[in-house]
Amino acid sequence: MIAGAASNLEPASHPIAGRRVLVAEDSPTTHEILKLLLTQRGHHVDIATNGEEALEALRHNHYDVALLDFHLPKLDGLRVATIAKSELQERDLPRLIAITADLPGLLAHTGDCENFDLVIRKPLDIYRIGRLLEEQAELRDQQQIESLEPGPQTTPLSARNSLPSAARQPFAIEGLGYDFLLWPEDIDTRRLSARAMQASLGDPRFDAILITQPVSVEALTSLWERKALYVLPIVDLTGTLGRMADFDGTELSKAATERLGRLIRDFQDRRARLHRELLFSDKLGEQLIGRMFVANRPLTAALDPRYSHLASYDVPLCRRLVTREAEALCEHALVKREFFERFHICPSCGSYRLHVREECSQCRSSNLSEEQYLHHFRCAFQGPEADFRRGDELICPKCHHELTHFGFDYDRPGTMIMCGSCGHAASEPSVGFICLDCGVHTDSDVAATRDVFSYQLTDQGVSFAEKGGAVLGYAREVLRFADLPLELVVALNAAAKRYNEDKTPFALVNILYGKESEVVAEFGARRFAQARDLFIENLRNALPKPNTVVKGQAHDFALLEAIGPEQAQVDFDHLKERASRTLSVDLGAMFQAFGPEDFS
Amino acid sequence: MWQTTSDGITYLLSQSGESLLRLFWFVAIFEIPRYTLGFVSVVALSFRPKEERRHLSGADRVTVLIAGHNEEDSIERCVRSLLEQSRLPDEIIVVSDGSTDRMPEKLRRLQERGLIKEGHCTQVRSGKSAAVNLALRRATGDAVINVDCDCTFDRHALKKIIEPFADPRVGAVAGNIIVGNADRSLVTRFQAIEYLISISQGKQAADLTDQMTCVSGAFGAFRRAALDRVGGLDAGGGEDLDVTLRLRSAGWRTLFAADAISYTNTPETLAALVRQRFRWERDAVRLRYRKHRSLLNPFSSRFTVSELMHEIEFGVFNVGAAIIFPIYIVWLFTTYGDLALMILCGAQAGMLVLDSATFVMAALVSPEVKALPLAPYVVGYSLFNGFVMRFVRLAAYLQEWVVEASYRDTYVPSKVHRVRR
Repeated sequence: MIAGAASNLEPASHPIAGRRVLVAEDSPTTHEILKLLLTQRGHHVDIATNGEEALEALRHNHYDVALLDFHLPKLDGLRVATIAKSELQERDLPRLIAITADLPGLLAHTGDCENFDLVIRKPLDIYRIGRLLEEQAELRDQQQIESLEPGPQTTPLSARNSLPSAARQPFAIEGLGYDFLLWPEDIDTRRLSARAMQASLGDPRFDAILITQPVSVEALTSLWERKALYVLPIVDLTGTLGRMADFDGTELSKAATERLGRLIRDFQDRRARLHRELLFSDKLGEQLIGRMFVANRPLTAALDPRYSHLASYDVPLCRRLVTREAEALCEHALVKREFFERFHICPSCGSYRLHVREECSQCRSSNLSEEQYLHHFRCAFQGPEADFRRGDELICPKCHHELTHFGFDYDRPGTMIMCGSCGHAASEPSVGFICLDCGVHTDSDVAATRDVFSYQLTDQGVSFAEKGGAVLGYAREVLRFADLPLELVVALNAAAKRYNEDKTPFALVNILYGKESEVVAEFGARRFAQARDLFIENLRNALPKPNTVVKGQAHDFALLEAIGPEQAQVDFDHLKERASRTLSVDLGAMFQAFGPEDFS
Repeated sequence: MWQTTSDGITYLLSQSGESLLRLFWFVAIFEIPRYTLGFVSVVALSFRPKEERRHLSGADRVTVLIAGHNEEDSIERCVRSLLEQSRLPDEIIVVSDGSTDRMPEKLRRLQERGLIKEGHCTQVRSGKSAAVNLALRRATGDAVINVDCDCTFDRHALKKIIEPFADPRVGAVAGNIIVGNADRSLVTRFQAIEYLISISQGKQAADLTDQMTCVSGAFGAFRRAALDRVGGLDAGGGEDLDVTLRLRSAGWRTLFAADAISYTNTPETLAALVRQRFRWERDAVRLRYRKHRSLLNPFSSRFTVSELMHEIEFGVFNVGAAIIFPIYIVWLFTTYGDLALMILCGAQAGMLVLDSATFVMAALVSPEVKALPLAPYVVGYSLFNGFVMRFVRLAAYLQEWVVEASYRDTYVPSKVHRVRR
């Protein structure tokens, strides 16, 4: 199983120009695996096992990307990056990527940590690391091209909030201290700036996309083709996007800025809860789920006369694509429909913009007038009022008696719709449509109709957003090998090897948090993440050394050596109690134990 | 009982011609002439030269008018049968007279599909006359054909009914009406025989002598100019008899087209039939002796021999016979005691023979009616018509004479009754 999984770690589906990569990592298993992986993809990999070696390598060789572990012997990764940045020419400087399990520790060095171009949290996702490196290398290429060309100004990552302001009024919104990506300065339909590319790789530092020039919804479709950009809130300074934007920035009152702050916080909070699979998905349907989840609102349709389909959704995506994808998601019960409106469609051009008119059923003229007819009881004459009218008197044209008293000698039993163009009369007018876009006439009863729905996430859609494809049934096994962090794979490999050699047992404990959603709902995703980290740390201390406690995506794991799953279970309650001791919230941790037999 | 019966037979057989007349004076006065007229007309009909109207179009443009109240079930079938005609109507105008069912919706759909030209719906009921007048106001045809919703038509009915208009003196043509639901009940079978004798054959005979006085509202054609000139239909029931009498007074000829065949549904229960006949007879009396009484006044400008003929016929054979019959029975029983019953049976036996002969002859001159299946019911018809219907008629006449019941008829809205002439 382990060997099998390793062989399809990363299909070399993208033939990519070989890059030079420096891996500075003190754990031999990790750098072995990384070397294997990256070499398979055609890259040249150098290994440094401590900080000094890494710095030497950087000084003497030219790399596209350097992966630096934060905690390196002799000289930590942060120092290496800082020195390299100050010593090397920009041309020689590789993309510097920090690898760390101690993100708070790294970020604590506020000034220096910005010398890294990207931070990757441990455990490493071996399925993505290859792509990530390649993207970073491309980014570097592009930055170098940009710095040579006099084109759009590039914005260094470190220059927070220093927005390019050439030929643009300074916006009050810029002073609010958020890190905005600008449309079209950072992102447009053809290119991304370095900052935008950074954001597209899921960098959590970016707060929102600021639309500074009028843009069409079709152009905004490019946001969805750029990975994680689609989950950033859209702040519209132009007022042209209407409800497709998440925030209307044309007028910034105090209340509005507070609202913007809340919106950005909520988006950040929910972005952190969105599963990576969706964050980086290139499937529009999955992105739509991600967007609904992060924006925390249903896809609500509304009337919008600007479009020939008369309806738009509150996402920066055209109605046709939203409908197509949302309908497909309905099939999978990830979203559910709610009826919004029924439209009639022009059979000629498909537009929904139809002029509705009452018209003559014979000649289709709308030149209609309503005529009441009178019934003269005593002689049974019944005809239009005009037949009776003589000045202010009503005289029956048949018997020449005057009509004197409504209800006594005459009444008005009904009306006739007279056509002023052809003279036809009917008891009711027909209803017809004229297409405002192509001018074609349609009878109301033959015009096809189309129903437009709003969509909201189902419970299954929400858990898909949080937990990824694992909930969708095509990977129902409790333990999906691909979900396991790299560190654990390596450790498991070793344990399995020992088991095969001398039957030394091991137990893999899968740690699930049963009360995750409750804790998140009550205290927020960040609080949950903190509590989970603490839980893991406590567990690590509580277990006999050596142990391997690894943080995974949805679950965490502990590998216990020289003990079988049955024996391990005896201690579970005790372990849980110890690990939870200093926690202020109850995570509802559950342990599942697997032994060597489960992996055969 | 047996003794009475055999005595009665013996008594009847022993009568001479003169004493028989004394016994059966009622039959001699009221029945024999009626049948004789019938027989004569049938003979005349069989010698009548077939008029060459064929291929003669009596009208360039034909409008069909349909007025109905709550006819959601039958209107479409009626329209479709009209669209099956060999001579298609140029326009169909339907009026829903204050319908409370889904008839207005049906009309809208028929109009949308182009099956009818115009469909009008009044929100309150105006009565059949007013509804037809409204449609007439919208009609553009030279001939307008008035049909009932529950009628269906033979394929050539329209072509045949407008042929007589080739004669410019003709103002209205009555269509031949056959009972379409004869096999539904005994009452409908009796009516089928009655329609055969009184309409299919009777109106042919009347036509011969220019005595056709009722262009039935169920299927009748009018020259639009003629109808417009007399002001269309008048308020109140019996509007078909009324308008025919007015057209005749205005100098128009009214004819019967035996080969313009429609089928109608008659009342299926005795109660419904009695209600219908009460209405018809009341209206007939009201129209003939109130509204059109000038036809009986020799000093009136409207008085003509031709009109007098049908007034006499109606007065003697319908009103007279109905009133005298009970008197005859009373006289019979007071004079002859027990023998009266046998005498009555004898009279009925004679009537049966006459009725059977009439039926056979009517069937002969009206080949369009399937008469053979009705033959077994002639005996019952004879009794039913001779006793039951005669008393129904009498009751209707008395009611109209004494309390003017036709003015409370629900067939016409009460607002109209209140003010009409």
